[in-house]
Amino acid sequence: MNALADTLFAGEEKDILQEVMNIAFGQASADLAEVIDIFVILSVPDIQVVRDCDLPDYFRQEISCSGSVHIIEQSFLGKFSGQALLIFPSGAEKDLLKLFNSNNELGQIDIDIDTLEQETLMEVGNILIGACIGKIAELLQDIVTYDPPRLLAQDFSLQQASCAPVAKGSFAISIRTVFRFEQQNVEGYLFLITNQHSITWLKKALHAFLEAYE
Amino acid sequence: MIFAQIFDTINTGLVVLDRQMVVHYWNRWMALHSHIQSSAIVGHNLFDFFPDLNRPHFLRNCKSVLTFGNFCFFSQKLHHYLFPMAPVGSLADHFDHMQQSCAMGPLRNASDEIEMLYLSVQDVTEVVSYQRKLMQLNQTDQLTGVYNRNYMEAHLAKEIERCKRFNHDLSLLMIDVDLFKSINDTYGHPCGDYALKAITQRINSQIRKTDALIRYGGDEFCCILTETSCQAAYKVAEQLRQTIAAPPFTFQGSQFNATISVGVASLDQQDCDLESLLKKADDALYRAKQAGRNTVT
Repeated sequence: MNALADTLFAGEEKDILQEVMNIAFGQASADLAEVIDIFVILSVPDIQVVRDCDLPDYFRQEISCSGSVHIIEQSFLGKFSGQALLIFPSGAEKDLLKLFNSNNELGQIDIDIDTLEQETLMEVGNILIGACIGKIAELLQDIVTYDPPRLLAQDFSLQQASCAPVAKGSFAISIRTVFRFEQQNVEGYLFLITNQHSITWLKKALHAFLEAYE
Repeated sequence: MIFAQIFDTINTGLVVLDRQMVVHYWNRWMALHSHIQSSAIVGHNLFDFFPDLNRPHFLRNCKSVLTFGNFCFFSQKLHHYLFPMAPVGSLADHFDHMQQSCAMGPLRNASDEIEMLYLSVQDVTEVVSYQRKLMQLNQTDQLTGVYNRNYMEAHLAKEIERCKRFNHDLSLLMIDVDLFKSINDTYGHPCGDYALKAITQRINSQIRKTDALIRYGGDEFCCILTETSCQAAYKVAEQLRQTIAAPPFTFQGSQFNATISVGVASLDQQDCDLESLLKKADDALYRAKQAGRNTVT
């Protein structure tokens, strides 16, 4: 965690937050394996507090794709609210389609390949985001609902991005994980962006979480 | 009580299922459009009535709702519909089934455990119909009914990419109606319009379904020939030239002749993008004109 995080979270709170995220992402990975029969490896989440004006630079720094990317966005609403951004390198949709449509179940319907790939991106996004957020909410005793996922940007160059595709707020807590599908060599990034309104609640929930273990 | 009234009068289908896929609730909208009464389906497995839903994709989504409280969205674009129902209203003729946008989410008991799931079904047939109409308008030339330049610019670049990736042949014909202005000047503009329509009809009758004829400009057309080598493209071009040159056209009793000049270009090592392919075809067309028209080069 960075300097800005220090001003928001006490030392102990940061540790609990990191621990909650570790558990949540670990369980999400297990749930995903059960639901989609695909083993998804989620990296230990990295938590940063970033000002919204610094987000474009932050993304450029964190994402190591040289080419263009697809960005899937989904808002979640509960006591813990915010936006989830899922970022895949361009071209990943072809591998994801192979992974999620292995029995060609959807290919029988008369749809063009571009639509099929786009919709696959959104469906994969919906499941990955839902698994991660759902676990965080469960651990912190919250219930969240979701907007439908949207393909925010297609073949988008992060190098040229001047504004981050997120809601305006003074700063954002960014939780970043790198995920990898074991059967296919697809990697992506998941950022959960939440705002100061969620922080008051989050701090309380973190303390409640700790108390439950003490 | 109030909610029960809302659920039965709302213009949306609502279904509640338990973990075994047994139906617990089936609102009036569902009964009305599926012709299955609530009393007939409640207490029974959904798949007894809709066996087509018993497939991995649907089950995967149910599982994600029941396992981690996810919300799932079944877009019309991908699925067209979940529940096969007859389309309603004036747009019914264009669709075999009502187009649906569906969503699925968790239902929790008093101790917040996920016990069941709900499905909502929305009729989006009208929106889809307008979308299709707009797409068609956006890609079609209004006079001749063939594709317009919008279509070409959107699809040709992609088609070229695909051919390069799979190492397939692709050829392009640039077609110009010879001395079109003189048809307009001699027989009037209605005859000119007729000539363009009749010419495109004759061309379309000679090309395959997988090829695309595009109105590029006033009296210029472009023909994309998929899976066609340079040699084969010349043959097609010559065929088109002959089919326009004879027999003569007839408009309101007066006969007139029309001819076309055709420039041929094919995808190769040097000309492997849209721009260079178009330029190559354009240059060939210019040479055909210089060579005295009614010619293929």
